[in-house]
This record gives sequence, C-alpha cells and structure tokens, in this order.
Amino acid sequence: MTRFKKLLNNNWPVACFMWLYALLSVYPLVWMIFYSLKNNDEIFVSNPFGFPTHLRFENYVDAWSKYNVPVYFSNSLIVAIATVIGAITLSVMFSFAAARLQWRFRGIAHTYMMIGMFIPIQVIMIPLAILVRDFHIANTYGALIIPYIAFNLSFTSIVFYGFFRSIPVDLEESACIDGASIYRTFFSIMLPIIKPALATMVIFIFLNSWNEFTMAVILITKESLKTLPLGLLFFQGQFTTNWGAMGAAMTIASLPTVLIYMLFSEQVENALTVGSAVKG
Amino acid sequence: MRKYLGNKTAIAIFTLPALLLYTIMVFYPIMQTFFRSMFEWDGLSAGTFIWFDNYKELLNDSVFHTAIYNGLIFAAIITVTQIGIGSILAFAVSDVSFKGRKILRISFFIPVVLSITVVCQLWLSIYNSEYGLMNKLFDMLGIQYHQDWLSSGKSAIVAIAFVNAWQYMGYHFALLLAGAKSVPEQYMEAARIDGATKLQAIVKITIPMMAETYKFCMVFAVTGGLNAFANMYIMTSGGPGTSTYTLTYLMYRSAFRVGEFGYGSAAAAVLVIECLLATLIINRLVARERISY
Repeated sequence: MTRFKKLLNNNWPVACFMWLYALLSVYPLVWMIFYSLKNNDEIFVSNPFGFPTHLRFENYVDAWSKYNVPVYFSNSLIVAIATVIGAITLSVMFSFAAARLQWRFRGIAHTYMMIGMFIPIQVIMIPLAILVRDFHIANTYGALIIPYIAFNLSFTSIVFYGFFRSIPVDLEESACIDGASIYRTFFSIMLPIIKPALATMVIFIFLNSWNEFTMAVILITKESLKTLPLGLLFFQGQFTTNWGAMGAAMTIASLPTVLIYMLFSEQVENALTVGSAVKG
Repeated sequence: MRKYLGNKTAIAIFTLPALLLYTIMVFYPIMQTFFRSMFEWDGLSAGTFIWFDNYKELLNDSVFHTAIYNGLIFAAIITVTQIGIGSILAFAVSDVSFKGRKILRISFFIPVVLSITVVCQLWLSIYNSEYGLMNKLFDMLGIQYHQDWLSSGKSAIVAIAFVNAWQYMGYHFALLLAGAKSVPEQYMEAARIDGATKLQAIVKITIPMMAETYKFCMVFAVTGGLNAFANMYIMTSGGPGTSTYTLTYLMYRSAFRVGEFGYGSAAAAVLVIECLLATLIINRLVARERISY
C-alpha cells in the first residue's frame, strides 16, 4: 500500500501518462507475438486481444519450413556480418591515418569523408542502381554489401576519428623507440585502446544493415538473395490465409535485434544516439 | 618521429581503400544525381541534355505538389509528436525518484530496433478495416466508428505518419534523455532553492540548455519526414491514387517503374535542396546564441 501511495504521490498524472505510453509502445509487439501463436479464428473473431487459448507453435514450423524464411534469415545474416567486417576494417584504418599519421591532405580527406554523413541515401539511389548494374554485381550479395559498407564509412570513420584524437601521442613515440613498425603499433597498441568504440560501432552497423530497407528494395530483385525486410514484404500475398504464420515470421525476423537490445540495452542506445554528438 | 608517422606506404595502405570505395559509391553518385537531373534519360542510352526542363516539368506536375505537401505534413507530424512526447517522457525518466525507470526506458526504445517492414505490416493489421485492432477497439468501447484508415486520401498520410512517429519516438526519447542528463545538477538545485517548481525549472533552465540536442532532434525528424519512403512503399504503395506520394516515392516511381531516370534525378535533387533548406532554417531558429556551461 505504501508503495502504491508513493507511486501516486510521485506526480501521478505524469506517471499515468508514462505507463500508458509504455503500453502503447509495447502492446503492438505483444499482440504480434500473441497472434503468431493463434489460428485465424482466434485472431479475427474469438480472441483478438488476449493471450492465446492454445499455443500453436506449428505456426513457427510453418513459417520456417514452408516459406523462404531460412533463406531470408541467412541472407540478412551474411549481409550484416560482411558489412560489419568491411565497414569497421576500412574506417578504422582510414581514421587512424587521418587522426594519427602526418600527411599533407589529412584535413581535406577527413572533411571529404564527412560530407557523406549529410547525404540521405534516397538521393543517390538512381546513380547507385546504375553503378551496381554497370559493375555487374546486380543480384549478387555484393550489390548490397558494397554499398552498405560505403554508406557506413562516413559516420563510422568520424566516430573512430574522435577516439583516435583523444589518445596521447607518447604512445606512438615509445612504440617507435622500441622498434615497433607502424603496422605493429596500429594492431597491438591502437586497436586495443579503441575497443569500446569498436564494440559500439559493431552493434550500430549490424542493426542498421539488418534492418535496411530502401537500398535493398531497389537493388535486389532475386528471390534467393532477399534479406528479411524484403522477404517479409511479399509475405502479405502468400499469407493472407494464414496470419498466424505471418506473425511467426515477423517474430523470427525481430528476434535478433530485440535480443541484442535486451542484452546490451545501454550500448545500443549509445550506439544509435552517438550520432547526435557528431552531427549536432 | 616525423618520418615514422609520415610513412607514405602506410598512409596509402590505410586510406586508399576507404577513400576509393567512398568516392565511387557515395561521392560520384551525388554528382551524378545533379548532373543527370538535366537529362532526358532512360538509364541505358547516353540521354539528351535538356537543361532545366525536368525541373520545369516538375513544377507543373500535380503529383510533385502532392509529394511536397505530403513531405511537409509527414515531417510536421513526426517532429511535433516525437519531440513533444519524447520530451515529456525523457524529463520524467531523468527524475531519479521515478519508479520503474528501467522498464519504461526499454518499452519506449524497443520499436526502434525493429525492421521497418515488421512495423509497417504490424500497423497494416492494426489499421485493417475488417479485422484490425483499431476498429475492434472502438467496438469494444461501444463506439460505432469504423474507419478504413488507409484508403481515404486525407487520413492515409496521417495514419502513415503516426506509424513512423510511433516507431522512432524511442530514438528521440533516448537523445533527449542523454541531453537532459548532461545538464549539470546544480542549476536545477539553484532553481529549486529559489522556489521554482519542477515544471518551471525544466521550461526555464533545462530546455534552453538542451538547445543543441533539440536542434539535432529537429533536423533528424524534419529531414527524416521529407525523405520518407519505406513507410508508404510498404503500407500504401503511394496510394490511394497518388495521395501518399513523397518526393522519394516520386523519384522511385519515375526511375524504377516508368524508366524516366532524368526526371527521377530531378526529384532527388529537389529533395537535397529541401533538406538543406530545412537544416539551415532550423540552425537559424534554434540556438542562435551558444550557451556554454
């Protein structure tokens, strides 16, 4: 009772609003999970809102075995992992050189890289589609992975640049005196120092490429190469008779990102909001 | 040391791959968009240079007017709801004495990590005129108010904008929460000693000190709204008719459905200019004087 009173004392109109909004924010998802375990009759007529009366896990079996969900899932995984590896490697190398090494055009190179952050992808879709066609990588994994890597470069480089700038220069000096090559300094001294930033950016790029829609819808038409956001789109037609399985497929698609968020909620929020520090 | 850090081979190895990929895949296409917007071009042949005819045609195209109007509506709805509600949520959660902060934070943020396809499909089922949750909810409350949310031209764009507002609310919430936390405690304390209520302190002190955060949120929401594409692609395909077209959708349809690549590029170029203008205006209006602390 005291707890309840405390909750009320604590500015209860605001508290009410907060919990109501939380409900609005989460209930559609809960509803999705519920209907992934129901049959059509329950979804439409007898029990649209509540917990399923009978847990129909066969919807998941249907979604996974009868339709292309495993293909979409593994495509998403391949594309996301390749993008993470490619974008992290290239941008970590670039920003190391831009922040720590001494060369004439480093300021220009850094600014040049920054321009990409202010360009919405929609704007360059037409030339990009032509490029992908002319390079003969249309309808290969490369058609997604290469543009995804290129698009993550600007932002990732700028975050790493900030981290590299904050490291004292004595480190390279002592490494140089001890006879380590510049490559050795990079791998054994610099990389371990920026590990926290690496982890954040891995999460950021993974989530981004797992959920990317606009480029995928324009660059990929082949069924066997579709990622989950694309694959699920065409479920609508296939599944109109079986909403339960559609719910199951959507739940499967959401599982990886939601799990990552649940496990690393702070880091994910940091990763997704880190842009404000740079762009603002 | 200079020589050590000025190792030319190392610099080339470290920078060239990234610069090359970026130039080909990002920078060159930007130039191409502007260049090609002055062509009558089917994407295959060389095309003919027609100066600003595509832009002239755009100005007379009624779909272009719809697209601009929809972009503005979409941007206005998501900016107001996301930043307005996001602020209330963020200030309440930043109060340490608030019960259940952790759960609230997670509930607000979770839609952000979902795929836009999942979110749109989910809301398609919610808006569905026969079986949808929305109409069922009205039934349950005993209100005779059935709507076909997405098939009337006027309500469709608003209904779609709310889906986007719902999904990315958590993002703005997290940004604003981080901003609110970075305002030093002592200002609030001083205000409280001077007898200000909590609300007064937030309006008069915290919000002005968060000007930079607000600026970023606004730029993000407004440009995001002007660029909107995936939501309408999935939920209405621009329909009914052309009533939910945006500039990006117009670009997509011109280039990839009708084959008018030059015309599509012109739409994309207008989009860049529009976003740039919006960013400039927001920068002008918000945080004219930098507040340092």
